[in-house]
Amino acid sequence: MNELNSVDPKWAWLPFEPTSDQPWNQTLAAHLFRRAGFGADLATLDVAVKQSPAEVVEQLVLRNTEANDFRAAADTLAETVLAGGDPKQLSAAWVYRLLFTPNQLLEKMTLFWHGHFATGAEKVQDARMMWNQNQFLRQHALGDFHELTQKISQDPAMLVYLDSAINRKAHPNENFARELMELFCLGEGNYGEKDVLELARCFTGWEVKGKQFRKNRYQHDSEAKTILGQSGNFDGEDGVRIVLEQPQLEQFLARKWFRFFVCDEPQPSAELLQPLADAFRQHDLQVAPALTMLLKSNIFFSKHALGRKIKSPVELMLGTLRSLQATTNTQLLASGLLAIGQGLFYPPNVKGWDGGRTWINSSTLLGRANLFGKILENSATRFDGKSLTEALRNLGVRTADTAIGHFAKCLLAVPLSDVTKSELRQTYQNQTGDEEQKLRSLLHAITSLPQSQLG
Amino acid sequence: MPHICSSSRRRFLQSSIGGAAAIGIGTAVPACFTQAAEHTVASVERILIVVQMSGGNDGLNTVVPYADDAYKAARPKLGIAASRVLKCNDDVGLHPSMSGLHDLLQDGKLSVVQAVGYEQPNRSHFEAMDIWHTCRRKEESRADGWLGRFLDSQPAKLGGDVPALHLGREQQPFAIASRSIRVPTIKELAEFQLQGQDRQALRSLLSNSLPAVETESNDLLNFLQSSTTSALAASQRVTAASQDYRSDVKYPETELSRKLRVIAQLIDAGLNTRVYYVQLDGFDTHAQQAATHEVLLREWSDAVSALVRDLHIQGHGERVCVMTFSEFGRRVAENASEGTDHGAAGPMFLCGGGLKGGIIGQRPNLTDLQEGDVKHEIDFRQVYASVIRDWMKADPTPILGHSYDSLPLFA
Repeated sequence: MNELNSVDPKWAWLPFEPTSDQPWNQTLAAHLFRRAGFGADLATLDVAVKQSPAEVVEQLVLRNTEANDFRAAADTLAETVLAGGDPKQLSAAWVYRLLFTPNQLLEKMTLFWHGHFATGAEKVQDARMMWNQNQFLRQHALGDFHELTQKISQDPAMLVYLDSAINRKAHPNENFARELMELFCLGEGNYGEKDVLELARCFTGWEVKGKQFRKNRYQHDSEAKTILGQSGNFDGEDGVRIVLEQPQLEQFLARKWFRFFVCDEPQPSAELLQPLADAFRQHDLQVAPALTMLLKSNIFFSKHALGRKIKSPVELMLGTLRSLQATTNTQLLASGLLAIGQGLFYPPNVKGWDGGRTWINSSTLLGRANLFGKILENSATRFDGKSLTEALRNLGVRTADTAIGHFAKCLLAVPLSDVTKSELRQTYQNQTGDEEQKLRSLLHAITSLPQSQLG
Repeated sequence: MPHICSSSRRRFLQSSIGGAAAIGIGTAVPACFTQAAEHTVASVERILIVVQMSGGNDGLNTVVPYADDAYKAARPKLGIAASRVLKCNDDVGLHPSMSGLHDLLQDGKLSVVQAVGYEQPNRSHFEAMDIWHTCRRKEESRADGWLGRFLDSQPAKLGGDVPALHLGREQQPFAIASRSIRVPTIKELAEFQLQGQDRQALRSLLSNSLPAVETESNDLLNFLQSSTTSALAASQRVTAASQDYRSDVKYPETELSRKLRVIAQLIDAGLNTRVYYVQLDGFDTHAQQAATHEVLLREWSDAVSALVRDLHIQGHGERVCVMTFSEFGRRVAENASEGTDHGAAGPMFLCGGGLKGGIIGQRPNLTDLQEGDVKHEIDFRQVYASVIRDWMKADPTPILGHSYDSLPLFA
């Protein structure tokens, strides 16, 4: 069933205009916030539906810098953790940002780049370097891909992670050069083994000293190289520039964004992606215009996209909390994310997270349900600063039926069947304990449904 | 064939059948099935355990051609001296940290296949791993893995145990991706069950609210629903099967050992699972290789040899084979960081009671290299074909896509 690729590529990337068949409403606004961020509460959705979809997208993209007071608060928290030096604790500092940031798309893209330029604390073993990289990715998350790639090539955590810190003139270390082409820019098959060897020579002498990047000219190979058809006495900056000039680059990024923002499957054809790829190149590899086009597009708001992604652990957990204005123990959440397959600062390998169906197996499915269980049993978990009972009452939600309807509206991308609704009612009624316990069990049940894993 | 402890078997059967009925799959388990199961002797089917060394294991420092001058010349710093290797014959010896496997070799329970690889080797971790997992190049369609296709070729069993299990925190390996069967991944037994005060209610909700047939047009939702069913079923079986295990073999305190001990428990409990998959990561030794590689090889060798001894004592030694591979070997010449870069062919290892044992194939010719890497003498699919045909008793040709002759691996 590959009807995605029968979509007209021209229509796919035109801006979506609401119609009477497909009006701009809470459902579509919730979709936009789930994908471009981590979900929105009902009040935010109400504001959004009063604007046009294009206006909401533009605001998301324009909010590309954190406000000073938020940044100060988030950074202070991180600095406290950094004093301890354990990268595992650092995950909690990032969870704080994910939970509270007003800059949703910026944070979503920071997470995207973390998976793209994947760097793992397991190998880097240095919380400060990992944090500096995270701040760097946030700073450029909606910026210039040239700058992002040039600077990540000189990022100390990346240098340590891909061994370029020990890339010497006499014996070039190929690791970084290969991944730059295979995983960051071009994709497998768009370069030769000779290109890897020659590109590695460009980066010789790039090392880390005192947690800072530096060029060691005694270890740099300044002789002539030939990379992807170009010859010269290239250094690392030239190497990155040549890779970025390759026409496969824009397709490679367009494909990755499509899978991240639009749908897990099927694979889009090159023809379908071409207009997005072209726009990215025409805007000289600026990220923001390409993402604006993507998030405004017909295809993004089409049936090919709605409910057609399996939520990552971060999307599921943070999305649920944010949509219900909930707060919880960030340490608990951070270690829980690691256990179900998306530890922040702990991608599985240099390829990052594969996403889609690979998020799901017996262990992670039970783990998702168990993590919600732990969070809902934790007394630190509050809803709009209150108990769940009180928070729902303030919204006029007083019965099991209205609670099921409310949770479904805030959290689900696909409808519940009548059978499932009646089972949920049973769950609520059979639960012993006070009203708060019954409502939390109901929420636990909804978040554990297969439908909740779709976003 | 050895019988297993009948009390744990019975307990396991009771709970697994009860579990299957309780969660609504194979709901009508007939009484005769229960009785037949009670009186059946232990499972006699053969089992394959795959150990994946992720990152590209340095084959030349695992099975060391200690007498070869070309080896000494290519490895001035990393080379392992003849006096240190655990000799297998006049050609090669095992890394000094592999005493456990060396003992198995003496007992005829280890077969080493040398210089295994394939034409036009790929040096990307992911692409090479995909080739080993699927037996297909990237130009071809890759919907499933070679073990997944093996699972698909087996007759489906109503109310049977999960046909394969992956133990680990990593992403599930492509090798066990199947079109018809969802293979569970578990990290540890304790995690593999619903927790929390409301777990009973949640279990019944998830079981009851799942549609009996897939009617939705959303493939992903169907996938999530069948995955949830699979998770609930597998969790009950595995929890029940792991109880009552006693073992006299002391396993080392390592992650791999812990996983292999869990597998021994499941096998001894009579689980009909035929394929187990575990991974040991860290073999991408571009720098300062010696110390890291030694630790990894020791962890692997000690864990695998403890498992093989344990299974032997428990009476399962003749029906379990442990196969180890890595996505590629490493470059023959060491690099300037006292490490090695991505290479091509390398050795594979099979352990267990059903093997002929010994060293198979010639030691790599280090004076005839391919871009600085070892050329393959034996195609990895020949090893797979031998395992599928001679061990698992299935036809390897449709699974591998071509016909391959068996190697003289199994007794």
